[in-house]
Parts: sequence; structure tokens; C-alpha cells
Amino acid sequence: MQSSSRTFSATAPPPPGALSSGTTWCACTSLLVEHLARRFRNRGEPYDDLLQVGTIGLIKAIDRFDPGRGVEFSTYATPTIVGEIKRYFRDKGWAIRVPRRLQELRISLAGATSELNQSLGRSPTVNELAACVGVSAEEVLEGLESANAYTTLSLDAVESHEDSMLSMIDAIGADDDALEGVENRESIKPLLEQLDPREKHILTLRFFRGMTQSQIATEIGVSQMHVSRLLSQILAQLRERLSDESLGLGEGVDGRGVEDPGNHDH
Amino acid sequence: MPEHQPDVELRIPADSAFLSVLRTATAGLAARLDFTLDDIEDLRIAVDEACAMVLPQALTDSDLNCSFYLGGDTLSVSVTAECDSPRPPSQDGFAWTVLAALTTSLKSVVDGDILTISLSRTSGDSA
Repeated sequence: MQSSSRTFSATAPPPPGALSSGTTWCACTSLLVEHLARRFRNRGEPYDDLLQVGTIGLIKAIDRFDPGRGVEFSTYATPTIVGEIKRYFRDKGWAIRVPRRLQELRISLAGATSELNQSLGRSPTVNELAACVGVSAEEVLEGLESANAYTTLSLDAVESHEDSMLSMIDAIGADDDALEGVENRESIKPLLEQLDPREKHILTLRFFRGMTQSQIATEIGVSQMHVSRLLSQILAQLRERLSDESLGLGEGVDGRGVEDPGNHDH
Repeated sequence: MPEHQPDVELRIPADSAFLSVLRTATAGLAARLDFTLDDIEDLRIAVDEACAMVLPQALTDSDLNCSFYLGGDTLSVSVTAECDSPRPPSQDGFAWTVLAALTTSLKSVVDGDILTISLSRTSGDSA
């Protein structure tokens, strides 16, 4: 196998065992990982980490894939990628704030799940877990729910409620002089859209849920200093783009498409 | 999708902010059918994906109607919304492929202005 880069398309992945250092694959397979990672992004784990974990799943799937079986690659790869991401959550100590009772329950559940996974050779049912831990099935469900802890107020949710979006923008403006002012509201909305999922999540936590920096730090699993830095960067970006807009600089980038080196069919 | 009345029905605003309620209901019902944690997780994601396909086309301020059918080892879920001349999701598309990978059966139906996505998952199906 040459060490120069080879590209593979999603429709014709490399044969099993073909991966070695210096082999690259097409950007279109990473779309699958992004699509799946996005499903888990509101659980307090940085989106970038989920992408990395998902990519590990993708590598495993590519390595094991047998095109001769006649199964579509994405169909085959999806459970492997999702499984890898789910395992990542199970192994992580979830840093999401929940009542003590639920924290303890989750610890018991995690231990029992792990044992049962081993002994059963598959993941346990809720009843099996309940029997093992000695709690009711309903309590097990409660524990699972808190582990999932979906943030109902993602930026997507905020966007669909005009009032919520405006009050969030006002909150940002109250905090940052350069971004305040009724006339800026309409300009800020599309700029918020351009932020990546992680940036959106942090802004939502800070300006919509009103969390402090240390609360945000705990929720997303980084240091408070890091949160502070991230917030400053994001706001600085918004300010810059806002002033570009008002100077009529618009999107800024020239119209030349740059050729994407990853998009070749093989 | 079974012909009889759904065992459980949930009506929520056609708004992504409410999907967590639907996911929780899905998990709870799957648990009743003794699904494993992995299957429950896959079903959550599948229901979420199905809604993600329906929501963009749903009329503003309308509702998403969700019907659940509890078979012996199969949970079927149907998600319906009123749209403005809805188009069925592309079956060659990405999102459909992913959804198909997570479910035992899957189909979409357009009936006038109503778009429905129906899926099911059978316990123990390696999907």
C-alpha cells in the first residue's frame, strides 16, 4: 500500500483491512458521521468530540464492511457509528447537574448495565436492570431520562419562537454594548445562524437559560476559563460581522469556488 | 401500521422544542415492551429523525400527531402533520437511509395535505 493519499467515495469504500496510514477518504462519508453526531449534540458534550468518536465508529465500519453482502454502506455503518457515540456517553461521567438521588441512581445503573452487557451479551431491558439494581422499572426510566437530559431549549427551539429569539438577542445586547440596540436585532439573527453548533449551544446556555460561566463549564465539561474565552471569541466574531454588515461588506468572501480536494469519485 | 386505533396518541405543537416529550414517551413505551437499552436508544433517534423530516413541511402553528401501536414485540410509531402541498421525503436521500437503518419498517404517505411517516421497530431486530 502506497503511503501517498488515496481517496475513496462513500459508494465504494475500501475493502476490509485496506486502511493504512496515509490513506484518506472522501468528505462525503463524514457527512454521515455529522448527521448522526448532530442527534446527540444537546447532551452537554462538545460537538467536536462527538464527531471524533463517530469517526472512530466509521473507521471500524469501513474495516469490517463486506460489499459482497449487498448491503448499502450507510445502512451498515449507521449502527456502528451510533453505537460508538452511545458508548462514549456511557463511559463518560456525565457532568450534567441533576438531583443527588438521580446521580446515585445513575451510578448504580451504569454499573449494572455494564455487568449485564457482559453476562447477557447484549444490552439489558429496563426490567432486567430494575431487578438487578433493586428499583422499580419507572425509576430506571427516570435514571435513563436524566442521563439523556436533552436540552429542550436548543438554538433551533429558540429560533422557532420569535419572542424567545428577540429576548435572547436583547440579553446579548445587555451584556455587550456593541451588540445592543433594537436596529441590530434583525442583523444579528442571521449571524447567529452562521455559528457552529457548539457556539450556538454556549450562547443559548448563557443568554437564554441565563447560566453562569461556571455552570456552563460544568455542563459542557470544560474549565470556566475556557468558557470565558469561548464567549469572548464568539461575541467578538458577532461584533465584527455586524460591523462588516453595516459597512456594506456583506458575506465578505469572493465568488470563486475553491476546489474541494476531498470530493473525487473513485 | 396496524389498522386498529392507536394504543397511545400524543399531539404536540409542530415545533422542535417539544420533541423531547415525544422522545421520552417513545422510550417509556418501548420499555413497556421490554426493549433493550440499545433498541430504546435507536427508537428515540428514529422518532426524532422522522419528526425532523415532517416538521419543516408542517404548517406554521399546526400540530404534530403521533400515534403509538404496541404489538407483542413491536412498537410502531406514526407521525403526521398538515402541510401545504407536502412532498414525500426522498428515499434516495441521506436522512431516509439513516432512518431505514434504525427501523424494522418504514414508509411515508402523502394524502392530500397530510404527510405521514410511519416506522416500526421489533425487539431484538439488529436493524
